[in-house]
Amino acid sequence: MTLHISIVKIEEEKISSEKAKNFIASKNNGAESIFVGKVRNENDRKEVTAVTYDTHDEAVIKSFQSICNNAKDKFDKNAKIFLEHAKGYVLVGEISILIAVGSSHRDEAFKICRYILEEVKHQSPIWKKEHYKDGKEEWLSGHSLRPKKDIK
Amino acid sequence: MEIHLRLYGSSKILSDKDSLKIELPNNSNIEKLRDILSKIISEKYSKNNLENLPKTAAFFSEKNEVVNDNYKLKDKEFISIIPPIGGG
Repeated sequence: MTLHISIVKIEEEKISSEKAKNFIASKNNGAESIFVGKVRNENDRKEVTAVTYDTHDEAVIKSFQSICNNAKDKFDKNAKIFLEHAKGYVLVGEISILIAVGSSHRDEAFKICRYILEEVKHQSPIWKKEHYKDGKEEWLSGHSLRPKKDIK
Repeated sequence: MEIHLRLYGSSKILSDKDSLKIELPNNSNIEKLRDILSKIISEKYSKNNLENLPKTAAFFSEKNEVVNDNYKLKDKEFISIIPPIGGG
């Protein structure tokens, strides 16, 4: 198996770097690239305590499969890819997304990792609600999936 | 006719439940749904910073595919509203 994708319900389990490393490990790989995205404690001068991630599960999984398969077609058909994204209430410092790639060479490993991250941000129906120290909360604006020409 | 609008992201402000039942004239399409949503938001949620949602959102059919504004809605159909996304 060369592809692992999942939405992780944070109240049930955590995203694990060790699990990702074990998944991509292979004697065929000369390079491993791992990106770990975490919730940070500040955004737009506001003190963040946590982020709630909402997901359209079926469409996210469909998009993850498409993105990862495209990445393999584009850079390395034999790459091993691990992609998990959090769902639910994620505290500052905890992992929101983890992408791990095992590939023959470093250039492909880096490129696949970066490609997947950018495409997830632009294709996968995932939303963030930030929670602030003062008790307020806010859904963040993002990238519209409606064609630009149709937005008047 | 009525449809069930599955709520995601910022649209969850529109209901405590996962979906919102919306009454529409027969043979309505997505464009009409955008109009009705604009009215609901301006009448009940004007302070929630949602005024751009009806025009910036995409909509998914039950097959999880984006549908365009001419898509004819069916009575009792489930449609997902997809506000602008931003994971990672």
